[in-house]
Amino acid sequence: MDYNWDFATIIQNWRVFWTGLQGTLLMFSVTVALGMSGGFIVGVMRYLKSPLIAWPARAFVEFFRNVPVLVQIVWFYYAFPILTGIETSPFLAAVLGISLNTMAFSAEIYRAGIQSIDAGQWEAGKAIGMSFQQTLRRIIMPVALKRVLPALTNRGIEVFKMSTLASVVAYVETLNQAKLIADLNYNPIESYTAVALIFFVVLFPVVQATYALERVLKRGDR
Amino acid sequence: MEWDFTAAFSNIDLLLLGLLNTLKVTGLALCLGIPLGLVLALTRLTHLRPLSLLAAFIIEFFRTTPPLVQLFWFFFAFPILFDINMTAFTAAIVTFSIQSSAFFAEIFRSGIQSIDHGQWEGAKAIGMTRQQSLKRVILPQAVKRMIPAFMERSIELLKTTTLVSTIAYTDLMYQANDLAQKTFRPLEVYSVVALIYFMLIFSVSQLSILIERRLARSGEGTVH
Repeated sequence: MDYNWDFATIIQNWRVFWTGLQGTLLMFSVTVALGMSGGFIVGVMRYLKSPLIAWPARAFVEFFRNVPVLVQIVWFYYAFPILTGIETSPFLAAVLGISLNTMAFSAEIYRAGIQSIDAGQWEAGKAIGMSFQQTLRRIIMPVALKRVLPALTNRGIEVFKMSTLASVVAYVETLNQAKLIADLNYNPIESYTAVALIFFVVLFPVVQATYALERVLKRGDR
Repeated sequence: MEWDFTAAFSNIDLLLLGLLNTLKVTGLALCLGIPLGLVLALTRLTHLRPLSLLAAFIIEFFRTTPPLVQLFWFFFAFPILFDINMTAFTAAIVTFSIQSSAFFAEIFRSGIQSIDHGQWEGAKAIGMTRQQSLKRVILPQAVKRMIPAFMERSIELLKTTTLVSTIAYTDLMYQANDLAQKTFRPLEVYSVVALIYFMLIFSVSQLSILIERRLARSGEGTVH
């Protein structure tokens, strides 16, 4: 292995990577916000007894959980416009694909959280005259959310990594920019190593923080 | 808008060939990734600090970087760095074996750690070495608890293999791109392919739910 590493071109082009990282962060924030709030609604629907509400929610979850995200993004980019006549930009296609997938996964997390709460809590809420909504908001959710927080942060980390898939439809994010630099300067080794390092540097502290969070929550339960 | 599935259905053999390649990549990556994951987990659990730190670093690195970046690295950078030839297929196998081994390692670790410490002591008391107790006492119990997590990870891997289409390996996704461009029927082709993936992955996940229930009935706890 006598390859001469040369990170000079990478450092010269840091602005290109910075633009990419901004694209990654934008994609992450939009998809995580849409996915986790939408997932909450679907998760509650999935919990409800009425089959008219629970069934569509179940079908939604099963479909978007069991189709690869890349297939969804490509479908929204190439197939969706033909079906509806609505042009989808690379950004919109990736946002739709990733958020729908995240909605399905986080819906299951919320549902598991709500189900983990003892039924007596619901009855207690009802007994003191609270409506379903009030019980959910004031009694069930505060406890359930705390329990599912580690699972949600793990999902968030997955969503961050998923944002690289947007490069397939040429959305400007970190990996896409690295491809550009690699093709222009013939330095795929340094470019792709740089992307791997950027993701590691951003996510490693987050992962460590989630471990700490899990430990704190576990201690709080005792 | 008129649906016309003839383009998709008359080329179904191409799609099935892609599906076969998808399964090939998934299967091979599993066969290599699981043993490698066990090795990583055991290294992480050794009492030799430098070794265990190294294993922890490898695991964390491959868990925190996106699989697509890893795939590009192994396909575009790795061959130049070590001056070897790498087909899209080899790059895919190498990437997904290592990537999933990092996740499998964590499953192995939590499985092994979930076994009561008394089991280790019991094995030691009847004169077993560490290796023997691991092989005969700990792993048989731990693996049973890990099955649901294993299945879940394998399903994730099956979905992740779609990425190989970006380095032009002829998996199902690649065949779909190819067919959509040639027949000018992206709507039907991509919809059919989404359905194929759905049916495949949905059946595997239903199967894993069944196995998980069966395990729960036999009174086994599970780890994630």
